[in-house]
Amino acid sequence: MALLDVRHVSFTYPLQTHPAVCDCTFSVEKGEFVTVCGPTGSGKSTLLRLFKKEIMPLGDMQGTVLLNGTERDQLDDRASAYLIGYVMQRPEQQLVTDKVWHELAFGLENMGVDRRSIGRRIAEMAAYFGIENWFERDVSTLSGGQKQLLNLAAIMVMQPSLLILDEPTAQLDPIAASDFIATLHKINRELGTTILITEHRLEDVIPVSDKLLVMQDGAIAHFDAPRCVLSRLDQNDPLLHAMPAAAQVYHQTGMHGPCPMTVREGRDYIQTYFDNRLPACDEQSAPQTAENALSFRHVSFRYEKNSPDVLKDLTFDVKQGEIFCILGGNGSGKTTTLLTCAGLLRPYDGEVRVFGKKIRDYKNQSLYQNCVTLLPQDVQTLFLRHTVREELADSRAEANLLPVDLQKLLDKHPYDLSGGEQQLVGLAKVLATHPRLLLMDEPTKGVDAAARRRLIDILKKLRDEGMTLVIVTHDVEFAARCADRCAMFFRGNMVSVGTPRSFFCENSFYTTAVSRMSRGYYRGCVTVEDLAARCLENGPREVHA
Amino acid sequence: MKRLDSMNPIAVSALYLCAALIPLVKTDPVLACLFASGALLNLLLYCGQKGGHGFSLLLFFGIALLNPLVSHKGVTVLFVMNHNPITLEALLYGVFTGGIVLASLYWFRTYSHLMTSDKLLYLFGALSPKLSLVLSMALRYVPLFGQQIKKVQQAQTACGLYREDNLPDRFRGGMRIFSVMITWALENGITTADSMTARGYGLQKRSRFSLFKWTAGDIVLLCASLLLCVCSLLLLQNHTFTFYPVLHMTSPNPLVTLGYICYTLLILLPAIIHVKEVLRWRCLTSGM
Repeated sequence: MALLDVRHVSFTYPLQTHPAVCDCTFSVEKGEFVTVCGPTGSGKSTLLRLFKKEIMPLGDMQGTVLLNGTERDQLDDRASAYLIGYVMQRPEQQLVTDKVWHELAFGLENMGVDRRSIGRRIAEMAAYFGIENWFERDVSTLSGGQKQLLNLAAIMVMQPSLLILDEPTAQLDPIAASDFIATLHKINRELGTTILITEHRLEDVIPVSDKLLVMQDGAIAHFDAPRCVLSRLDQNDPLLHAMPAAAQVYHQTGMHGPCPMTVREGRDYIQTYFDNRLPACDEQSAPQTAENALSFRHVSFRYEKNSPDVLKDLTFDVKQGEIFCILGGNGSGKTTTLLTCAGLLRPYDGEVRVFGKKIRDYKNQSLYQNCVTLLPQDVQTLFLRHTVREELADSRAEANLLPVDLQKLLDKHPYDLSGGEQQLVGLAKVLATHPRLLLMDEPTKGVDAAARRRLIDILKKLRDEGMTLVIVTHDVEFAARCADRCAMFFRGNMVSVGTPRSFFCENSFYTTAVSRMSRGYYRGCVTVEDLAARCLENGPREVHA
Repeated sequence: MKRLDSMNPIAVSALYLCAALIPLVKTDPVLACLFASGALLNLLLYCGQKGGHGFSLLLFFGIALLNPLVSHKGVTVLFVMNHNPITLEALLYGVFTGGIVLASLYWFRTYSHLMTSDKLLYLFGALSPKLSLVLSMALRYVPLFGQQIKKVQQAQTACGLYREDNLPDRFRGGMRIFSVMITWALENGITTADSMTARGYGLQKRSRFSLFKWTAGDIVLLCASLLLCVCSLLLLQNHTFTFYPVLHMTSPNPLVTLGYICYTLLILLPAIIHVKEVLRWRCLTSGM
């Protein structure tokens, strides 16, 4: 008997003519790891919410959902609440209490479990998830990755049979995200918990999934083992951009043999099917303009008098008309650098110049008129109005400022937009001040693959029109595609700078999947297109008989 | 027995309340002196030298000097000011009241040093589990709200919300940020509410978990505090001290002396626990 059996389920939101979920039929066996993917707005989240009646959206639903053989509405409240654990996208907002241990105990307290058992179960769970060291801390002191791990642990402590996760890693940096997926895999393997997860970033999650469910316009397009689905996808399917790099290379090079999914399989694939007579890609050259848009000279910054330095004697230049990407781990000073560029933080030593003029000499908010602007990490902080239309009118932005169509978003509330759409509206809003230097903090956070590609095109177009962009990001694939120069931050200082090709090929861990895949076989490949071109140019491998 | 800061908050609170209660209900300079010296000793042992004394001393002198100016009871006139007699009794009563206030401030400064937010929550939780959850959520949301305001402030500054550096412009911007924060709080409230219902909140009566347990030491401390408190109140019940119209005290007897000893023990309990702990560690580390 399947744990979850979905039969002909359709769902329509009130006042909508089109169903959000349309005639879905599938089943999930006990212990399976199922990944649900699809473009933004394809009904993934709606579908998942239909399985848990406490948080089911309002609307008209047809069809049946069987959980453990019982119809969903027949389950009593207790059974329904504890059978399914549900983790949502935003780590911060799901936390209820102020202490880590209290958050872990919250679900069990609701179940009315006695004190002694609660103590035992949360101790067990804390040890399993490795959170003993921060057991008594305030939740506000945790990093995003730790918060999401805590959300997961707080749900696992209730021992659910089915764990549903709705884009749990969208707000995390890639390293925290792959740690999180690894933890899920461990739960699935060691505890046998059934997992149903939706994701944007599929690089890590696909290799550990048993099944891949692809949704398109509310209906199920594919539901099969990941390798089968990957080889069945159409070559022009926009969803392919979200797939692991190895699978993308496979599609662009004529699909020989079974589809590779991991870096290791991708490596084997290119070495088996392609020659390496012409191993090197062309060198990229950095733009050679004389003028500096931004220059840091021996800048040091700390938040409080007695706290350690966040920026230590930092010196670098950004040329006019380039896209400069800053990469690095959490707490290495990336965002602090950006806030310093925007004049929001004042260094205690050193000098910051914007277009040759000291930042302190921009008086009376003139820095923010036609000069510098910042798109913050949390784009929601930009929005002050109830509709996108008012929002744009307010900052005197024109909807046609961007090469994309914002018309159909105009009457929505900014908070209701998807991550990618919010990013675009935010961009339109900050561009209204006609900046010459645009600072962006993690623009690809919570943005799906298609929207990310669109964003890259927009940024390149802005650059070609003469704007200078400084982008802080964790997303190496994004930096490899869009930057003119990349820089690596480590403990408040810049440790390496270079064009994406030289930069990512010199790094061996902090680099793109393609670079890791082609290392030692081809030189200078950082994007899927680079590698596919290299493979096709070299042609098939001669079999020496 | 463990250190006071790792003992059960209910036992610790009982001790602190009992010790503060007696000098407040009994007007007696001897008790007040004991209370003040006990409070000062504890402050030094538990909090060290940190924290200013300016405000407390100001309050003490304020009360001590204000009382003779407004109260003219008492028979020993020191001098006359603006046709009003300033009496010795009123001055002494002022010093007494000021001393009690000063001692209470010091006493509860040690208490608040010991009681961190989770201990307070545990105390409220003993009254009502719902209240404790609401407080816990509030403790989480207030700093979160503050952080978000700061982020919005920065984002808006950098995208040119403020046209110029002047007061009206700042005020207008501030108002708009505040109004969007309400929307933000409601929006996030929905996610939090979902997260709570998804974890079965409100289905049945909640149980309550906390990191604090009752150990034998906690029970001993609780009983000792209550016992000493009751004993000293009983022993001192017939003993009175009056300031007006003349200073008068009923003559002391052995029972009263015993009452004072009980109270001294009570006020010194935190210090005794502290010293015992220091000695125990000294023995352990010196290998005795």
